[in-house]
Amino acid sequence: MIDQTPIARKAFFTFSLVILLSFGNKLVAQNGEAIFRENCARCHSLTVNLTGPALLGVDQRVPDKKLLAGWIRNSPAVLATGNKYFNDLYNQWNKVPMPPFPSISDAEMDALITYITTPPPADEPGGEGAKQVVDEKDNSILYGVLTLILAVVALIMLQVNSNLKKLSDDKEGIPSAEPIPFYRNKTYIALITVILFIVGGYYVVKGAIGFGRHKDYQPEQPIYYSHKVHAGTNQINCLYCHNGAYEGKQANIPSLNVCMNCHMTISEYSAKSEKLYREDGTEIDGTAEIQKLYKAVGWDPAAKQYTGKETPVEWVRIHNLPDHVYFNHSQHTKVGGVQCQTCHGDITNMHEVKQHADLSMGWCVNCHRETKVKFDGDDGNKFYSIYQKYHDEIKAGKRDSVTVSDIGGLDCQKCHY
Amino acid sequence: MKKLSIIVVLALAVTVWSCSDVKREQNRVYMPDMAYSRAIETYSDIDTLAAQGIRYTRMPVPGTVKRGELAPFSLPPDKPGETTNYELSKQLVNPLPPMTEEQKKEAERLYLVNCGICHGAALDGNGPLYNGGKGPYAAQPANLATGADYVKMPIGQMFYSVTYGKGQMGSYASQLSSTQRWMVVQYVKDQQAAKNAAEAGANDTAANK
Repeated sequence: MIDQTPIARKAFFTFSLVILLSFGNKLVAQNGEAIFRENCARCHSLTVNLTGPALLGVDQRVPDKKLLAGWIRNSPAVLATGNKYFNDLYNQWNKVPMPPFPSISDAEMDALITYITTPPPADEPGGEGAKQVVDEKDNSILYGVLTLILAVVALIMLQVNSNLKKLSDDKEGIPSAEPIPFYRNKTYIALITVILFIVGGYYVVKGAIGFGRHKDYQPEQPIYYSHKVHAGTNQINCLYCHNGAYEGKQANIPSLNVCMNCHMTISEYSAKSEKLYREDGTEIDGTAEIQKLYKAVGWDPAAKQYTGKETPVEWVRIHNLPDHVYFNHSQHTKVGGVQCQTCHGDITNMHEVKQHADLSMGWCVNCHRETKVKFDGDDGNKFYSIYQKYHDEIKAGKRDSVTVSDIGGLDCQKCHY
Repeated sequence: MKKLSIIVVLALAVTVWSCSDVKREQNRVYMPDMAYSRAIETYSDIDTLAAQGIRYTRMPVPGTVKRGELAPFSLPPDKPGETTNYELSKQLVNPLPPMTEEQKKEAERLYLVNCGICHGAALDGNGPLYNGGKGPYAAQPANLATGADYVKMPIGQMFYSVTYGKGQMGSYASQLSSTQRWMVVQYVKDQQAAKNAAEAGANDTAANK
C-alpha cells in the first residue's frame, strides 16, 4: 500500500485539478472553434472582412453580450427593434442578411463568443516560407575570360619564342630574315580567318534559324501574376482559368471576374509565403499586385463592391503561331490527352512564364512522329475504328502502336490551309 | 600591342557580362505580315477596333443563346439585400436527362477543375485553398458532403448559387455553360446521396452489431 501522507494527497489533488482544468479549458476553446467552423466561418473570419465583418474585437463594438447572442440567434428580430448599431452595420454591408442560428445553446454561445474575442496565436514569422535564393552563377563567363587570357598568353609565348630564336640565331651568326610582325604573318592570318569563319558562321546560321522563333521569351506583364504561386503552391487547375484549352482553339486568358472568384476574399499576399522576385532580381510586393487587379476590375475592397470603373489589363501574349499555321488546343488536350506541361514546360514552377518550346515546325512534327494515339482499348478514341488496316496489323502482331503521323499527322494540310 | 589586348579583353568581358539570359523582347521575324495575323484573331492587337468602340471583352448581348445550349436561365439575380429569386430558385428542376456514365465522368472532371479547389475533391469544404484554415483563403468553403444546409438545399437553388455566386463565391457562369452547371450540381447531389446512403449503411451495420 502507498503511504498516503497529507502532502502527497494534496499534491495529487492539485495535480489532478490542474489536469482537469486545463483539459476543460481546451475542451471549451475547441468547442468554440468547432461551433465557429460549423456555423460562422463561411461568412466570417476573425481577422479579415469577408461576406460579414471580421469578428475580432466584437466585444468592444457590442459590449452587451446578451444583445450579441440575440443577434447571432435571430438577427432580423434585432434589426426590427431598431437597434442603431446593427441597422447601420446591415446597411454598411450591402444589406446582406445574417441567417438566424436559433439552435446555439447558452453554453455554446459562451464558448463561441470566447473564441471569437480571443486573438488567434500569432504564427511564427519566417518559417517554411523564407526560401533561400539559390545562387546559380553562370560559369561560362569565367571560362570565356580564362580562354581569352590563355590565348593571349599563348600568343605572347609564341612571340617570345620567335624573339629568342632570332637572338640565338644572331649569336650563332646564322643570317635570319627580317622578322614579320604577327599581324602580317600568313599563318596567323589564316588561323584567325578560319576561327572567325567558324564562329561567325555558327552565329549566322543560328540566328537565321532563330528568326521568328521566340523560345525563352519572357515579357514583363502588366500585373506580376505568378503561375508558381497559383498553379504550383495553391494547386489551381490550369483549366480553372484557361478553360478554353479544353473547349476550343484558344486557351483563353481569363477575364478578371475569374481572378475575383478567389481575390474577393484573398486581398493580400501573406508575408509568410515565399518571397517573390522578378527575373532581374527586384522584389515584388504581392499585395500591391493584387491592388492592381482591384484597380483594373473596379473593386473597392473596403466597401466590398464594384465601382464600375474598369481599365483593361493588357497582358502580353507569349505564345504565338504564325497566321499560316492552324493549331487547336482542344484537339490536343481533350482528344489527344496531352498535358499542358508537354508544350508549356514546368509552368507550376515559373513565377513569370516564359516560352518553353520554340514552336518550330520541326518541334511539332517530331512530337507527331513520337506520340502514340489512344488507338484501341477502353479509353481508345472510337473514331479510330475506321483505320481497319492498322487494327488488322495490331491483331496480326505486326504493329504495336499507332502514332499521330500514322493517322495523317504529318500531312501538310492538317495544319496549313 | 599590350594596350590593344587589354582593350579587347575588356570589351569582350563587358559584352558577355551585359548579355542577360532573360529575354524580355521577342526575336525578329522573317515576314511580319505572315507571322502576325492581319486578320483579327483572338488576342491580336485590337486598338483600331477599340477606337471604333468595338471590344471583345464585353458581355454577350442579353438573351444570347449559344448553339446547342439550354435556353437562358429565367431567374435574374437578386438585388442586394433581397432573396426573392434565391427562394424562387428552389422550385427549379434539372432540365437535363439522367447523366450517362460518360457524362458523369465529365461532371466529375468539371467539379474537380472548378469547384474542388475550394470545396475539396471529397466535397468536404476543405480544398487546397482553404486547407483547414492554413491556406490563403480565409472563408471556410461550404461543406457540400455533410453540411446540413447543403444536403437539404434543392438542386435549383444550388444552380442559382453557381450561376450568380453566393457569399464569397463568385459567379461561374463565365467558366461553365448552363449545361455544365447543371451537370456539376447534379454531380454534387449524386455524391451527397451516395455519401448519405453509405453513412446510413454504416449506421445500420453499427446498429446490427
